[in-house]
Parts: sequence; C-alpha cells; structure tokens
Amino acid sequence: MKPTIGRYSTGRLPGAAENEEVNRMLSNEDEILPSSGFAAAVMDAVRREAAAPPPIPFPWKRALPGMIVAGLVFVLAVMAVVAVIVYLPMTSTIPHVSTPPSSLGSLGLHGGIESATAWTVLALLLAFVSVKLSMSLATGRP
Amino acid sequence: MSASEDQSAVERVLAGDISAFEEIVQRWQKPLINLAYRFCHDRGRAEEMAQEAFLRAYRGLNQWRKDAAFSTWLFALATNLYRSELRRIPARTVSLDEIAEPADTRASDGGLEDQDRNSAVRRAVLNLPSKYREALILFYFHDMDLTAAARSLALPEGTVKARLFRGRELLRSKLPQILAVPRLKEA
Repeated sequence: MKPTIGRYSTGRLPGAAENEEVNRMLSNEDEILPSSGFAAAVMDAVRREAAAPPPIPFPWKRALPGMIVAGLVFVLAVMAVVAVIVYLPMTSTIPHVSTPPSSLGSLGLHGGIESATAWTVLALLLAFVSVKLSMSLATGRP
Repeated sequence: MSASEDQSAVERVLAGDISAFEEIVQRWQKPLINLAYRFCHDRGRAEEMAQEAFLRAYRGLNQWRKDAAFSTWLFALATNLYRSELRRIPARTVSLDEIAEPADTRASDGGLEDQDRNSAVRRAVLNLPSKYREALILFYFHDMDLTAAARSLALPEGTVKARLFRGRELLRSKLPQILAVPRLKEA
C-alpha cells in the first residue's frame, strides 16, 4: 500500500498550503515487509485457538442463589448502617423524647452495644450462610 | 485483493475450513503490520500487534457485518487494538524539545537532510496527544482518505478533520525549524 495523494488531496484540508510539507513528509513513510515466518506464526496461533476447548461458561445457575443472598445481605447491611447513622444522633441529642416505634426500632436498633453486637452477629451469620450455600452449590456437595 | 475473495475466505473459515484464514493473513499481513508500525515504530512490536489483530479477527469473524467491506472491519478492529496496546504500553519516544532543537550541526547551516527531517516529523507525531496522533497516523496510512481514516477510528469525518487540523497545528508549533527549512533536493 504505497502512500500516494489520494482522493482527499492537500487542497481539501484545512490550512492546505501550510500543510504541504507535513503531507509530503508523512506520506513518505517507509514500509516494512512482514518477516518470512509471520503468516505461519499467525496460522499456528489460529490453529491453537481453534483446537482449544471452548471456554467454560460462568455457572450462573449455581452462582445465582449465592449472589442473591449476598446482595440481600449487602442491602440489609447498608440499611443497617443508614439506620444507625440516622438514628444515633437523634437518641444522643434528644434523650428525653420517646421515639415512636418504627420498623427499624422494632428491629432493635435503639439499643447500645447490645444492638450493635446483635447486628454484627446477624451479619456474620448471614455471610456465613451465604458462603456455605454458594460453596455447596458450586461443589455440588451438601 | 477483491472484496469477494475476502468474503469467500471468511465464509469458508466460518464453515470450519481454518486454512482459508491463511488467505486472509497473506492478503492483509503487510497493511496490518505497516499500520502497527506507524503506531509504534518498532518492527518486532508491530508484528506482535498485527498477529494479535489477526487472532482477534479470527475470533470475531462472525461479527463482520457484510454491509461494510471486510478491510474496513479489519482495519477498525486492528486500529482499536493498536490504540489500546499503545495506551497500555506507550511507544518509545523522545521529547518534542529534543526534536525541535536537534543536535545535528547541519541544522545551523541550512537545514537537515530530508531523511532526518522526515524522521523528526514522524517522531513528533508519536509525541502528540493520542487523539491527534491517531488521526494523523490513520489519515496518512489510508493515503489521505478521510473517510477511510474516520471509519477505522469509528469517528465522524468532521471530528477526524478537526483533529487533523489541530494535530498539524501542534506539529507546526513544535517543529518550526524543521518545517520552515526548504528541502535541499527541491528544484
């Protein structure tokens, strides 16, 4: 593919007159020839590629339950963190106001260390269950 | 080098005849290696990148929509690969300052030889920001065919044209000495 002045001649480009020198220099790029074994090397690689077994598809069927559980755990953890962030300042700044029972309150968020411990234990338990479930599904063993 | 030969070879490869891919390699090895060479100016690396381009073409052969020429698809694929490879490991270059003020003593008394000046401009192109560099490389590789360059880069022609303009401006600002010197061999 010897560079020549093609259909877009210098005159059709912006700043054409000033660009002639650049055009001339960059059009005269040296060409290199492929080395003698190039095509053979490519074909070897292609044959290896063709002979290789197809890639194992990701086991969605097995992984999906674990991923769903993990997602749920994550959502619960985010909700817990948000609830703690929102709720703790309220309890510390207005200690005398009794908070109305809420869904988060009913989950036991208004405790101190006890509730934090409970949440931690719950999170660990859920994480453990999800890991065990994923592993048992992946290995096929109960 | 006809489009129907390409299409026929592709169809045979897709039908399971791997050896037909060799026709494609034979036909396009030189352009693909030379395109890679313009991106990196390193022969060994150019061949490695071209080999990877052929492998990717083989893997994605069934994605070629026959509404465009096979060569258009192949060049776009190769360009995309070369651009990512060069982003991953940039080509070895020298700074533009070194190019603008060459140590060659001939520069002070009348200018550099053609070959040196051409070489300095090519090195300067490699030092340009990637979007201008790629536009310039593709434009000159495709024999100054703006449409082909735009297709290879998967960009609108207007964008490529603007990048060419800006790239040339940058070159001129970085190489005032070299581009101002008249050619020695000029009549």
